[in-house]
Amino acid sequence: MAVAAILQRDLTVVARSRAVSLPILLLPIVFFVLAPILLILGAAVIGNDLAEFEELVALMPEALRRDLSGLSASAQVIVWGLEYVFATFFLIVPLMTSAVIAADSFAGEKERKTLEALVYTPTSDLELYAGKLLAPWLAAVAVSTLGYVVFVTVASIVGGAIVGRPIALTPRWLLFVMVLAPGVAALAVGALVQVSARVRGFQEAYQLGGLVVLPLVALLLGQLTGVLYLDVPAVGLIAGIVWLAAAGMLALGYRSFRRERLLVQL
Amino acid sequence: MTESSGIEPRLSRPCRSGPRSHPRRSSSVAAAVRSENLVRRFGETRAVDGLSFEVGIGETFGLLGHNGAGKTTTIRLLNGALSRDAGEIEVLGLDPAVDGVAVRARTGVLTETPSLDERLSARENLSFYGRLYGVSGRRLDDQVTGLLTAFGLAERADDRVGGFSRGMKQRLALARTLLHEPDVLFLDEPTSSLDPVAAREVHDLVEGFRRDRRRTVVLTTHNLVEAQRLCDRVMIMEHGRALAIGSPAELARTVVASRTVDIEIPAEQRDAALGALRAAGFAGAKAAAGGLTVRVEDRDAIPIAVALLARADVPIYRVAELEPDLEAAYFALHGRSTDGTVQ
Repeated sequence: MAVAAILQRDLTVVARSRAVSLPILLLPIVFFVLAPILLILGAAVIGNDLAEFEELVALMPEALRRDLSGLSASAQVIVWGLEYVFATFFLIVPLMTSAVIAADSFAGEKERKTLEALVYTPTSDLELYAGKLLAPWLAAVAVSTLGYVVFVTVASIVGGAIVGRPIALTPRWLLFVMVLAPGVAALAVGALVQVSARVRGFQEAYQLGGLVVLPLVALLLGQLTGVLYLDVPAVGLIAGIVWLAAAGMLALGYRSFRRERLLVQL
Repeated sequence: MTESSGIEPRLSRPCRSGPRSHPRRSSSVAAAVRSENLVRRFGETRAVDGLSFEVGIGETFGLLGHNGAGKTTTIRLLNGALSRDAGEIEVLGLDPAVDGVAVRARTGVLTETPSLDERLSARENLSFYGRLYGVSGRRLDDQVTGLLTAFGLAERADDRVGGFSRGMKQRLALARTLLHEPDVLFLDEPTSSLDPVAAREVHDLVEGFRRDRRRTVVLTTHNLVEAQRLCDRVMIMEHGRALAIGSPAELARTVVASRTVDIEIPAEQRDAALGALRAAGFAGAKAAAGGLTVRVEDRDAIPIAVALLARADVPIYRVAELEPDLEAAYFALHGRSTDGTVQ
């Protein structure tokens, strides 16, 4: 009951803050609606005049080249962009959603001085921690899962005819959405718990928390340069590493989220 | 325990005899709160340093002291939010270090800042905390509505707390502490940030608790007038230690050794009267509205001072011995603890 109460309260509080709710609303619109439409329209406009793209494809791993073979040039751009590269971009949504809510939930609560009354309630440290973790994590998982459904729908409606099948409805994408995105969200929450314990307020936590996007940028660069090819086993391996790191980070966070420590920080 | 105050703390009788067979229960729950040689350190600092005291059921007990005296740390230790380094505590017969959740379920804490979520309405704030205190369903709705009405907030129940005045927020925070009908209330500086009107509202509410005697109240404050008005007994603290424990009147009588006498005389005779008194060794004679005051160490000195003025042909309209109050006791104790002499 306590965990559910904290979860509900934190989500209500987030929904009523523009500084927190606006990025959570805007990010999925940009990523899941605008980006696929622009990419598909761009590929359609360029048509089959894609000599530069073919040079880029030549640098890609063999497996990817096999996936693209037999497709028209426009369809190759769409598949490469939306099914391959975009899957990594997609992780920014659960990452940023959980980071911004966790910053508000942990550092923001400290800043608003609402934590003190909370620690005097008959909840255990674990209930307090779980309640506060769940709000950013569940919100991130919900936003990314719903966003994926919207993305597949929009992309398939706009570009399905060019590719000749639904877009982004692949085992690799499902692994990204169902396993890797929740892991990335958990890792971001764990990182923000650590950051929040060391800063005074939401803004500071949010800015420092933005650094959690760096490993994602590295992953994306590896992918774009052809160094990395994220097939299903590779995504599964990365998801395993991410979940292990998240578990470690969350366990570490629990040590810093004891009433005793929180009161000393107030 | 207490230092050289001359006032013995109430915890003079043994709390228990022999080893406890049941570590979680006390042998007696006659006291709502009991602390023995309680110690809490933060690094090298001993924030609470050997505190021993008892608070009876239904009593309003004040913790008095300057900033840093250890009042808030004591409340946190009693509530089980902080762990102790040494000593023993029992709250309602439970050890907060072992049964922290159970202790917190039967106690309520009002913090210095209201600690309310300003993005939620008054009703939402109370409902949220009610759920955390295990109140649910119809009972929660009834409690929330009843408390909002009792605390004069019913008309603003669905407004966000961010738009409330400080007094309203503090009233709402006090209502929050009563949601689960706690047996013990810890009020940590409940009026320190309030204007006089809002402070008076909080005083009236606390006086209500004191009158009906259903709840034990432990109140921290550095407002001596507030403590004198609200508390049955107080503990004066400094550097985490108890300087004295007793009722305000008891402390004033026992701790304040000197007496102050107010003597009403004609204003034009005041200088002559002061001169005569000081020449006779009454160094504590001072001008005051309507005449002068004389501080004496011994009551027998009062008729001597009066006789001296009569011999100097100073008309005396009125002589009144002023009752020492808690403020006098507080400063006497602090003076004694810092330089060894009563100021």
